[in-house]
Amino acid sequence: MTDRPLVRMTGIGKRFGGVHACRDIDLTVTAGEVHALLGENGAGKSTLINVLSGVITEHDGTIEVDGEPVSFAGPADAQRAGIATIHQELDLVAGLSIAENMFLGREPRTRLGTVDIRRMRRQAEAHLRTLGADLDPRRLVGSLRVGEQQLVEIGRALSLRARVLIMDEPTAALADAEVERLFATIAELRRAGVGIVYISHRMAEIELIADRVTVLRNGTVAGTVDPRLASREDIIQLMVGRSVDALFGEGRNEPGDVLLDVRGLAVTPRRPVPGRTEPAGVDLTVRSGEIVGLAGLMGAGRTELLETLFGAGGSGRRVGQVTIGDRPYRPGGPRAALARGVAFVPEDRRGAGLMLEHSVADNVVLSALSSLTTLGLVRRPLLRRTVAEQLTTLAVKAASPSIPVATLSGGNQQKIVFAKQLLRRPRLLLLDEPTRGVDIGAKAEIYHLLHRLADSGMAILLASSELPELLSLCDRVVVLHRGRTVAMLPRASATQQAILAAANGDDVKESR
Amino acid sequence: MNPPNPTTVAASPPETPPSRRAIRLPKDRHAIVDNFFRFQSLFGLVAVFLIAIAVSPSRNGENVFLSSGNLANIVRAVSEIGIIAVGMTFVILIGGIDLSVGAVLGLAAVGSATLMVDSGLGIVPTVLIVLFIGTAFGATQGAIVARIGIQSFIVTLAGLQAARGIARMWSGGLGIPIAYGEGPQEAPEAFSLLSGSINGVLPVPALIFLAIGVGALLVLRSTAFARHVYAIGGNEKAARLSGVPVRRVRVTVFAISGLLAALAGIIHAGQLNQGSPNDGAGYELDAIAAVVIGGTSLAGGSGSMGGTIAGALLLGILNNILALNNIDANVQLVVKGLVIVAAAALQRLRPRIA
Ligand SMILES: Nc1ncnc2c1ncn2[C@@H]1O[C@H](COP(=O)(O)OP(=O)(O)OP(=O)(O)O)[C@@H](O)[C@H]1O
Ligand SMILES: [Mg+2]
Repeated sequence: MTDRPLVRMTGIGKRFGGVHACRDIDLTVTAGEVHALLGENGAGKSTLINVLSGVITEHDGTIEVDGEPVSFAGPADAQRAGIATIHQELDLVAGLSIAENMFLGREPRTRLGTVDIRRMRRQAEAHLRTLGADLDPRRLVGSLRVGEQQLVEIGRALSLRARVLIMDEPTAALADAEVERLFATIAELRRAGVGIVYISHRMAEIELIADRVTVLRNGTVAGTVDPRLASREDIIQLMVGRSVDALFGEGRNEPGDVLLDVRGLAVTPRRPVPGRTEPAGVDLTVRSGEIVGLAGLMGAGRTELLETLFGAGGSGRRVGQVTIGDRPYRPGGPRAALARGVAFVPEDRRGAGLMLEHSVADNVVLSALSSLTTLGLVRRPLLRRTVAEQLTTLAVKAASPSIPVATLSGGNQQKIVFAKQLLRRPRLLLLDEPTRGVDIGAKAEIYHLLHRLADSGMAILLASSELPELLSLCDRVVVLHRGRTVAMLPRASATQQAILAAANGDDVKESR
Repeated sequence: MNPPNPTTVAASPPETPPSRRAIRLPKDRHAIVDNFFRFQSLFGLVAVFLIAIAVSPSRNGENVFLSSGNLANIVRAVSEIGIIAVGMTFVILIGGIDLSVGAVLGLAAVGSATLMVDSGLGIVPTVLIVLFIGTAFGATQGAIVARIGIQSFIVTLAGLQAARGIARMWSGGLGIPIAYGEGPQEAPEAFSLLSGSINGVLPVPALIFLAIGVGALLVLRSTAFARHVYAIGGNEKAARLSGVPVRRVRVTVFAISGLLAALAGIIHAGQLNQGSPNDGAGYELDAIAAVVIGGTSLAGGSGSMGGTIAGALLLGILNNILALNNIDANVQLVVKGLVIVAAAALQRLRPRIA
């Protein structure tokens, strides 16, 4: 490690209207280090790295690269200075292929000046392979799952061969196997002298790879610590300003009757979509008052199963039996599902969960409008009260309910999606990565909330790629592999190893 | 590696995706700016009104523009486009477009004339039948958009052709004059009320426009239906997953647009005392212009009915003052084009608030 930092940010400040997102922040990045940036949702992490990556051009303070002051007029300038960024919110072009996205704006040329498609594909494939992603570079990005899109983003950043690599929650949508591969890549980059800024809400990751931790709180630096010397509790204390109470262990009520019963569910899509793993033999039950986890590798078909159960999957021939209560359940669409008391929190909050330009309040009440109207007219006072209650319950950090959701930090946006579905008071709650990008404190709040909901009799089916989350939260864990149920583990026998073994399809040999 | 030139700090790089474009909060000193943009079309309307007074010719020391006769003319001339624009606002809010409205207006005008003059029907059955035809036409287009998933631009472009064709077939390609009286081949006297005024001041069509406009404004403000409309325009997938009946809302919105276009067609027939299959040609573009000037985004999801009404009035005043000053009709077109671009440009400057 050399002494002179690659990047030195001094006195960085940024206001959005009345909100002070960053205030007088100093940050350095040295060659060959992983510098982790921690903080609650809305602490200003993304804002800070948006300044460094040239996305935000008007700000206070100075940036030096290699000791030279710089001023970026846009992201392209930052890239030219050797700073590549994987943004928290994926911004890929859905209508272009993986390869085209990775080389957007700097496509390799042939001697004739046309785009060298073959070289582009080859390179894209190579970058994806280092990440362990077995994706055809010709596939349209719009057809990819969130986790796969995240791999494409990472691949794009790698292909820039930057000296400073900023990663804003790169693992939020990745399953364990992918995370491991990413960490191997990070270790290699670090050996090659790349300076890495790493943002994550997963403490275990930080402990694994960070050389230095800077904690932000309310837009200022709360402290910089060495993760080898500081305990997890110390770091959390710095982040939230208090200690987060032990998350679990509280007594749970005995689950009730079986609410959701799925037997031999399989869907043969009318038009197969590449990359989708439709249910191909799913068996599971969820009792009311029970939290059942769905585990599996990327592409195991967890999202597709939840979508099918919500009536939002692709159309096709369906076999098998699904019952809710005692009546057969075959939802024709989300409306029918909601009418049967089933709610769904999708994983892709920007694409499927939120109207970004609309206000927080509009988003929260959208699915529960019928309970807030008389004769089709919206009852405003009731609506305002309901929104305020929901925002308080979930501790959403928003300046006011009338600001656009797009201005909230990532984690707070996730809470809005959550709030929206809970307003329907469902009997069965389907959750796809419900704590993606949510900070430690808020995660604890959501876990408590889920426990409360379950204790009040709600049945919860939850897909997560974070194994610790499944292990601590769920009464049972169902493991999927290639669209099939391969294991159903009660809490006592659900260990990390057991789940991983099943997820890898122990009997089946897998290439990836 | 050259450090980039520090003087090139730009406001907001165009390649920045919307998510990270500077978004300001409606707070403290931004409130003024924000309210200016929110009521942009209203300010525009007032400005154009004041300019019109200033540049109006005067006759016998009286400001021609401000004369009650002239003001009545303006609102009368605006009412048909205005009513269509109200329907168009709903369509554009869900991210669609309805190009068929001008042709549906023509079809409705022909229908009104034929049903009363040739078929000898009374006013009430005529109006009901014509409104039904317009609504059904709109709903059919909406159903094609919603069920098959063809873009509304294409569906309504086809609808435009079809409606014109039907109107020509129905009328034999000719305008059908409406004579009033009790005899055969004559329409009930009461239909001519549409070309009259209340107390000799407020033209009847303007009154209808006012009623429709206020009604739509209230609908858009306070119904669950309106929130569904905005939601679909904002993010259709999220709306569907939240249980919004996306197809039904789509069909309804196009049905409303067809209904209002037919209403405008009935008024058109009453004002001109005839129904011609070529009536309303190009009205769809004026209606879209009114909506755009009113600040509604063609991408859907944001906009207001008040803006549309102001936009329609603004266009009417503009046409009127240019005509009063004997400005060539072709120049009028150019000016109209400039105003549309100016209004859209102002929208771009607006801090992005839903
Ligand atoms: N474009 C914007 N307009 C207005 N306010 C904004 C904007 N971007 C961020 N903010 C506000 O600035 C604060 C910091 O947001 P930022 O996105 O940097 O948080 P974060 O630390 O990355 O949070 P998370 O962990 O949830 O991603 C938040 O209060 C947020 O609402
Ligand atoms: Mg962030």
